[in-house]
Amino acid sequence: MNNSLANVARKQRFNRVVSVLHKDLYRYATWLCRDPGIAEEVVQEALLRAWKSLDALREDDAAKPWLLTIVRRENARYFERKRLETVDIDNLTPAQSAMLAETEDPNLGVMRQAIFRLQDDYREPLVLQVLMGHSTKEIAELMGINPGAVLTRLHRARIKLKDEVAKEDAQ
Amino acid sequence: MSTSGNIMKCDDYKQAIAADPAESFADGAGHVAACSSCADYKAEMLALDESIAKALSFDVSGLRMPELPELDGEDENVVNLPFKRKARITMPSWVGIAAGFALAAFLGVQFLATDITTDADKDQLLAAQVLAHLDHEPQALLPTNAVVAKERLAAVVNDDVGTMDRNIGLVTYAMSCVINGRTIPHLVIQGEKGPITLLLMPDEMVSMPVPLMGESINGVILPVGNGSIAIIGRRDERLDEIKERVMNSVEWSI
Repeated sequence: MNNSLANVARKQRFNRVVSVLHKDLYRYATWLCRDPGIAEEVVQEALLRAWKSLDALREDDAAKPWLLTIVRRENARYFERKRLETVDIDNLTPAQSAMLAETEDPNLGVMRQAIFRLQDDYREPLVLQVLMGHSTKEIAELMGINPGAVLTRLHRARIKLKDEVAKEDAQ
Repeated sequence: MSTSGNIMKCDDYKQAIAADPAESFADGAGHVAACSSCADYKAEMLALDESIAKALSFDVSGLRMPELPELDGEDENVVNLPFKRKARITMPSWVGIAAGFALAAFLGVQFLATDITTDADKDQLLAAQVLAHLDHEPQALLPTNAVVAKERLAAVVNDDVGTMDRNIGLVTYAMSCVINGRTIPHLVIQGEKGPITLLLMPDEMVSMPVPLMGESINGVILPVGNGSIAIIGRRDERLDEIKERVMNSVEWSI
């Protein structure tokens, strides 16, 4: 196969693998870094890395955890490079405010803010479980922690969200 | 109140269902069928999860794919290696290798832009990729006593890679990473002065030990059978004992 044909085949495979996951990768990155603008940059960089190392993906079926791992690392690299402070809920950028205010449903807005306020360690496994449909084992592998720790974080995350929502309802 | 007569079981169930509302854990269905309090709690958690799912799935539009660069030039930089064979690791004669490789390794990134023609060039290209990779995973080098779970270690150093015995030391970080387009185990053990990075590269041959020197690091890529192992510690870390331990602990798969 000559180079251009090989490139076409490679691009077709890349598009096939990425297209179905692109939106969820962006949502995952957004909840990871809590900034839609940064998430877009992170996902773009991550996809470029994925493109360059596509040959490392042996089975297309394994694309989801593979891409999530790349996005996760790219997010860490981004914050390491920029030496960014963690996001302060009381000092949001316009993009962050827009993301939280996107819905007209007040209950949804309250939940979004509560998720936004969760500690990173609690928010990430929750996003991986609820949004990405990952099992406890898969989350543990991706985050490099044991399954027991994943379950503890998931439990605490839901209890915190439940309490936050109840507090808002009471006001 | 629980109808099961066992409050601890209800507590356990509530903890489990809050972590996993899909109730994929054992005995959950049996318990909730006999306990109205837990059934109510489960319903509450399912409703909460529905709300969480809606909140997480915000509207996404206008996403663009990145401009994908042609990779012809980069393909030429990939070192073609022979297939793997069983290789009992032996200590290479790395002692006495000229220190001149150190600077070349540190500046090896230049080789990415040039033709790769000799074994030394290939070695330096690999050295540059190893250094670039370290730069990208700073979180791996945090001093810690938390040992990686046996299962995770087995998943990272899997049968495709080889075997590694416990004498290598306590592994505090294990991740499958990509070097030169190949997925390899990235491990961290703790040395006298701090974390020591190990990159096990069963398919990356180097012609001789390649020193890796930097402002804050001291390391080497050692040839091991048909592959190589990168060992990198802090600048003041003494690696001799660690090199021997690593070499004696790892064996590539066929």
